[in-house]
Amino acid sequence: MGLNILVTQGSDEVIVKLSGELDAAVAPRLKETVEKAAEAKPKRLVFDVSELEFMASAGLRVLIFAKQKMGGGVSLYMIGSHGPVLNTLTMSGFHHSVILQDTYKPVD
Amino acid sequence: METRSMPAALESLAEIRRFVKEAAERARIEDSRSYQLQLAVDEIATNIILYGYQDAGEGAVISVSSEANGDALVITLKDQSPPFDPRAMQVPEATELAKPLEERKIGGLGIFLAIQGVDRFEYRHEDGSNLNIFEVRSGHG
Repeated sequence: MGLNILVTQGSDEVIVKLSGELDAAVAPRLKETVEKAAEAKPKRLVFDVSELEFMASAGLRVLIFAKQKMGGGVSLYMIGSHGPVLNTLTMSGFHHSVILQDTYKPVD
Repeated sequence: METRSMPAALESLAEIRRFVKEAAERARIEDSRSYQLQLAVDEIATNIILYGYQDAGEGAVISVSSEANGDALVITLKDQSPPFDPRAMQVPEATELAKPLEERKIGGLGIFLAIQGVDRFEYRHEDGSNLNIFEVRSGHG
């Protein structure tokens, strides 16, 4: 199944839509996407995970990488996380640092 | 008992998850517990492939087996990389998990998720092989 990544550049944000399965085999591709997104110096990095069916800790590490690469001033959004992916995010404490929303609506 | 062996490469992870998912369906494990089990096995397999076998090159093999045992499903990962007990790895504590991401340490999350996600996790080293054993029970979830 693998991972599909679709990047949309907004005025203040980069939106990264993920579908499929995010494991350690494909996480390096997402890391490259984040590196490229960082070059545009967006205010927000938005991951749409509504169609993401599986996420391993390799995906969480990309989120940590994004935050550390882009700096504390950039907000991370996770849109449409539900079920087990949401469960993994909260178990790992990521809900403290990432803005979780059902649909994207900038709040900062 | 059913066993499948595959190359110890990250590309095998999807097949390992599929094997676990099918075993969980046969054992009538509910979907959310099946997912936690797939995640647990995926995390430990990732560790074995990336760190256990890092210098092994081609020919390194990881095998996954399933066995139904009453209302429990037992999945075992077997590999011949150097002995490593995941339970000995320091996992993040509550204070670490509450930290902002920019202050987070990278390591230990996978093993944390693996051990938290199953009803029983066990490790043994036998006859030159690492055995990582995962158990989930159906029914009273």
